[in-house]
Amino acid sequence: MNTAAHAPTPRWLTALHRLLMASALLLLMFHLAVYIGYAVNLMRFPFDYDQGEGFELVDTMLFSQGQWPYRDTEAFPFYSSNYPPLFHIVAAPFVWVFGAAYWYGRLLGFLGTLVTASAIAYAVYREGRNRPIALIAGLAFLASNTVYHIGPLFRQHASMVMFETLAVVLLANANEITDRKQRRRRLALGFGFILAAGYTKQLALITAVAAGIFLFIRQPRRALVWGIGAGIVGAAIFGWMTLATGGEWWRQAILANVNELRIVQTVALFNQWFGLHGFLIVPAVLLAIYELYFDRLSIYTLWFVFAVIVNGAASGTWGGGDSYFTTAIAALCILSGIFASRTLRGGWHFPANYLTRWLINPLRRAAPLLAQAALVIVPLLYLGYGRAVLHMPTDGEIFGALSQALGLHPNALNGFYDSARTADGQYATGYANIGHWTTEADIEAGWKISNLIRASDQPAISEDAGFSLMAGRPAITNPTQLLNLDKKGLYKGDELVRMIEAREFGLIVLRAQFYPDRVLQAISRRYDQFDTVTMNGFNYLLLHPKPE
Amino acid sequence: MFTNDFTLTKRHLGGLLLVIGGLAFTAILSIDLLDAGREGGIGPAQQIALISSALVALLGLTLIPLGSRPA
Repeated sequence: MNTAAHAPTPRWLTALHRLLMASALLLLMFHLAVYIGYAVNLMRFPFDYDQGEGFELVDTMLFSQGQWPYRDTEAFPFYSSNYPPLFHIVAAPFVWVFGAAYWYGRLLGFLGTLVTASAIAYAVYREGRNRPIALIAGLAFLASNTVYHIGPLFRQHASMVMFETLAVVLLANANEITDRKQRRRRLALGFGFILAAGYTKQLALITAVAAGIFLFIRQPRRALVWGIGAGIVGAAIFGWMTLATGGEWWRQAILANVNELRIVQTVALFNQWFGLHGFLIVPAVLLAIYELYFDRLSIYTLWFVFAVIVNGAASGTWGGGDSYFTTAIAALCILSGIFASRTLRGGWHFPANYLTRWLINPLRRAAPLLAQAALVIVPLLYLGYGRAVLHMPTDGEIFGALSQALGLHPNALNGFYDSARTADGQYATGYANIGHWTTEADIEAGWKISNLIRASDQPAISEDAGFSLMAGRPAITNPTQLLNLDKKGLYKGDELVRMIEAREFGLIVLRAQFYPDRVLQAISRRYDQFDTVTMNGFNYLLLHPKPE
Repeated sequence: MFTNDFTLTKRHLGGLLLVIGGLAFTAILSIDLLDAGREGGIGPAQQIALISSALVALLGLTLIPLGSRPA
C-alpha cells in the first residue's frame, strides 16, 4: 500500500500540516529550554540533589587518586561503590583540575543526553530522510519527564543510555556494508560501545542481548564470531577487576546488586510510562508489528522489546525506578520517528501473505484518505506527547505568567508542575521525587549542614556525601550499599556499630534512613536529634551523641 | 546455517519462538507440579510469566505461515 502515489494533497491540508508541525516543534523546543534551565540550575547547586549523587562523586575522586571504589565495607570508612567504573573514570580528570564538585558530573550527564538525542535524530533521518521529523524525534527524547529529571545528574545512567544508543545506531546497518574493512570497523565500534555501556551501568546487558539476537537473525555466523569476541574482552576486563579488587568488584557490584522485585511498583511505573509516552508508544508498537509480519526485524524493534520487558520489569526492584525506562524511551523515539517519516512519505509496502489478505487489502481503497489524514495525525501525535510530558517551573516572570495562562498549578517541590503527578502531588511508587529547580535557600541550608560537619572535631556520618565533601571531610559509609549487602546477608557491620555505640562520630546526618536496621538501632540508642534542616523539600535530621 | 549468506526466515523465527514459549510455559507450570508442598498456588508473577510465554508461543505460531521471507 504505497500511499504516496494517490490523489494530490489540497493546499489547505499542506498548510495545516506545516502549521501543526511547526507547533509541535515549538512545543518540544520549549521543553528543551526548560531542560537547559534545569541543567544550569543543578550545575550551580553544590550539594546532593538526587539521593546517591555524592557517592558517585566519591567514586570519581577515588579513581582520580588511582584507587578502586570497590572496598571492604566492614572496615572504616565503611564505603564501597556498587556501580561499574567507566562514567567515574571519564569524570576523574575534572577532579585533578577542579577538585570535588558536582557540576562536571552533571554536565557530562546532560551532554550525554544531547548526544543520545542527536543519535536518535540521525537514526530517524537515515531511515526516513525527513529532517523535521528527525529533529522532533530527538527533541521528544529530551522532553520525556524521565530523561528530564535524570539527565543532568551526577549519575551514570544517562551516559549508559548514550553508549547504548550509539551502539544500536551503528550496528543497525552494519550487515549491509559490503566493504569488509568498513563493516568490521563498524562492528568493532558498535560492540565497543556496548562494552562501554555495560561498564557504565549493568542495566546495559539488555542492549548486548538485543544486538546479539539482531545480528544472529541477519547472519548467525557473524553474530557468533563477534559475540564470542566481545564476550572474551568483556569477561577479561571483569576477571581483571575482580582480581585487582580482591573480589570486592564481584561482591559489591554484582552480588549485592540483585534486588527483590516489587510487582506493585513495576505495574505502577508501567502505567505511568504509558500515560506519559503513549502517543509515541502506539506508533512504535505499530512499526514493530509491521516489521515482524511484513518486513525485516530491525535492531531498534528488538532493543525496544527487550528494554520494555526486562528493564521495565526491573524498574520495580529496590533501587530501580522510572529511570529504568530511559533506554525504552530512546528506542521508542527512534521507532515512532521512523513510523512518522515513513507514513508521511507513503513508504508502507505489504508483501502478499495471509495478514495482507485479511487486514490490509480491505483497506486499500481508503489509502488516499489515510495518507491525507496522516498529515494531520502525525504532528498531532507529537503535540499530544508534548502536552502529556509537560513539566515546568510555575514561579518567576516568564514561567509564572505562562503557567497562569495554561492554568497549571504547582504539584511538586519549589513551585514546579510535573504532568507525571496528580494535582495534589501524588506520583507512582518508584518515580523519582526530583525535577524541581533549586533555590538560594536550598544552597544556604546545604552550607549550614556542611559547616556543622566542618566544625566537628570528630568524624561525621552523612547520608548525603556532599555535605562532608564540601567540608573537606571524607565520606563515611554508603548507606544504600550497606543496605544492599545487608539484604543479601553479606554485611555484618560490627565495627560501624561499635563506633556508633562508642559515640565516635561527632555528627550524624540522616535523610531517608537507608541504613541496615542494626545500624539505625545503634544510632537511636546513642544519638539524639538536635535539629532538622530542610533542603530541596527534604528534611535532614541532625543528630549528636547522647551524653555519657 | 553458518555460511556467509544464511539468514533466518520468518518460519525459522516462528519455530524458535514457538519452542521457547512452549518450553517456558511448561517449565513455569512445572514449578507447582514438582514442588507439591508449596503453598499459595500460582502467584501473580507466575501468572504474568505464564501468559507471556503463551503469547510468545502464539506469536511464533503466527509467523510460521510467512514461510521463507527473511526475518
